Amino acid sequence: MTRVRISRTLSAADGHIVCNGCGHKLVVAGNPWKPYANIAEVPVIGMPGAGTGVQPTIVLRQFSCPSCGSLLDTETAMPGDPFLDDVLEVVNDRN
Amino acid sequence: MDPITFSIIRHRLFRVVEEAVMTLKHVSGSAITNEGHDLMVSLYEADGSLLLGGVGFLHHLTSAAEACKSIIRRFAGQINEGDLFLLNDPHTAALHTSDIYLVSPIHHEGELIAWSACFVHVYDIGAMNPGGFAPDAQDVFSEGFSSPGLKLIDRGVLRQDIWDTLLNMVRGPEMVALDLRSMIACNNVAKDRMLALVGKYGVRTVQQASKTLIEQSEARLRARLLELPDGSWQSRQYFDVKGEVYRTLLTMTKRGDSLVFDFTGSSEQSKYAVNCTKWASLGGLFAPLFPLLCYDITWNEGVIRPITMIAPKGSIVNCDKPFPVSVATVGAIQSVNNAACTTIGKMLACSEKYADQSSAVWHANHFAIFMFGQNQRGGESIGILTETFAGAGGARNFGDGVDIGGEIPNPISRMANVETMEALFPIRYLFRRRLRDSGGGGEFRGGTGGEMAIVPHDAPSGGIHYALSGKGTAFPQSEGLAGGNPGAVNDYVWVHAYNNPEAKPNFAQNLEAIPGDKQSVSWGVFPLMNKDALYVRWNGGGGMGDPLERDPAKVKQDLVDQAISVEAATQIYGVVIDGIAVDVRSTKKLRESMRKLRMTEGVAV
Repeated sequence: MTRVRISRTLSAADGHIVCNGCGHKLVVAGNPWKPYANIAEVPVIGMPGAGTGVQPTIVLRQFSCPSCGSLLDTETAMPGDPFLDDVLEVVNDRN
Repeated sequence: MDPITFSIIRHRLFRVVEEAVMTLKHVSGSAITNEGHDLMVSLYEADGSLLLGGVGFLHHLTSAAEACKSIIRRFAGQINEGDLFLLNDPHTAALHTSDIYLVSPIHHEGELIAWSACFVHVYDIGAMNPGGFAPDAQDVFSEGFSSPGLKLIDRGVLRQDIWDTLLNMVRGPEMVALDLRSMIACNNVAKDRMLALVGKYGVRTVQQASKTLIEQSEARLRARLLELPDGSWQSRQYFDVKGEVYRTLLTMTKRGDSLVFDFTGSSEQSKYAVNCTKWASLGGLFAPLFPLLCYDITWNEGVIRPITMIAPKGSIVNCDKPFPVSVATVGAIQSVNNAACTTIGKMLACSEKYADQSSAVWHANHFAIFMFGQNQRGGESIGILTETFAGAGGARNFGDGVDIGGEIPNPISRMANVETMEALFPIRYLFRRRLRDSGGGGEFRGGTGGEMAIVPHDAPSGGIHYALSGKGTAFPQSEGLAGGNPGAVNDYVWVHAYNNPEAKPNFAQNLEAIPGDKQSVSWGVFPLMNKDALYVRWNGGGGMGDPLERDPAKVKQDLVDQAISVEAATQIYGVVIDGIAVDVRSTKKLRESMRKLRMTEGVAV
């Protein structure tokens, strides 16, 4: 399979979604990749520059490559909200 | 049509809009128009379709098209040469009542050939709070004068009864009259220049060029979409009012040469005035689409055709009447802007060719602070703190966001000088500057927002009041991309002066140095009286890429420039500064340990 760019940090290659930093295969193409990344949840209220009114439960989800530690994506989320799901159809089709 | 004539007419259309904008600004007397550039001028075809989108707040390009179409339907058979119509009903076309559209039909030898339309945020619209943003409103009926369309000028003659009725319903009628006159003058100039163009080249030639221009834009956007991969991308925005949390959820799907923006899953409509109507949501998604996807394509009906919006009825992005909407432009509309910016940015990032066009979210939160009360000259003043238009750039694929760099939905937004604001209101600025740690961290940092503090000064009534519609304090909305952090949030702090004559803010240079008890505020009407102070900070742009990949030399420069703190240099960027230099060895070690932590914490499935 030709390498297909998914984002600045991810590609699809050899039937998998892979980390651009080290080539680590996160998951078989066609599946959501985020559950297969390492996920840290950083409370926004504790980040440098946080304001006085920040909601205590809002977190910054950080999705990292389990192999090289590259940060692959981030999203803000309230507890229980699902991962944002970005789908590239060519990656799914070729699976 | 020969390409040279086409090109000349195309350029002349741009100049028509440009000259009309200049006229609007020359006649208008309000800071929100002249300094903040909260305005828009565009040209429309005879059927109301967008012919040439101008500058200003881009949400209005599609809404004003609907305004023209609505006027065409409502006044069928009664649209005459020299007429001018007013429309500001959010359920008909407008964004909120204080953004008034004035639209002029352009006739040539008795034939309707085009429309000119413009808006400004008028000085007041008679809502329950001065200035148009009405945080206290419970429904749209409390948000001031609202018209689905009326004829203000009939065959060149001002309808004095309508004019007097409108001005009888607003505060500061002389200023509202000036706003309206500025828009009338703007439309007159647009009309004159269009007729001059038609006079020189002939009406059929200009119409043919317009048709070609629209076809060209549609073809070019569809071709661009075909170059981009098919897929769907999501974004989620949170915002709150008085502890009630709202979500705007967007799934943008691109297939072939079309795009669908689906807001299914967004929160139900709110009892607070942050809702928006469907026309506002449509404008909201187009505001970032025009500059991000169509930076080299003329903004007109051709750009609109490949786009579809799904906005569930009764939701915060398509509310029912009479739910209030006066804060929409800084509420749900802005969340739509931000979400669309993110999904478009994600789509562009999939393409090697277009990756450099992707951008993290810019200035995600306006702060609508409308001050009102007796000014230092004994008269009354109403107006916005224009720093809300100062903005902050989102980081790009190749570079940092611009500090206090404006916003995507309005390419010409800016803030007034401190001296202008001090001349308009009985206030004095203690400080105004970039806000440290406000730009989202990333390999490329989001642009910083800013911070400022004001105190009453030379105020006959002891101070002034302000209506604050302050969403954006609880949740960061300037999303980052590809590992970038979001920009920091807004904040509004009322400093209650100590009851001690010696405890004056004088020349305090930061919030901590202002003497008094500090209270966070975000929604409602508040006083700024006596020795109290108001501190405001506004959000930065989102970051792009992994912060641990940022060049340590840039981190050091950010420290020198006070764009970031030592704490951020260490915690976010993993850079250790020894005195005034980067400690290369310690930085390498720290970054390695931070990456290792990522590899071991939060273990994957």
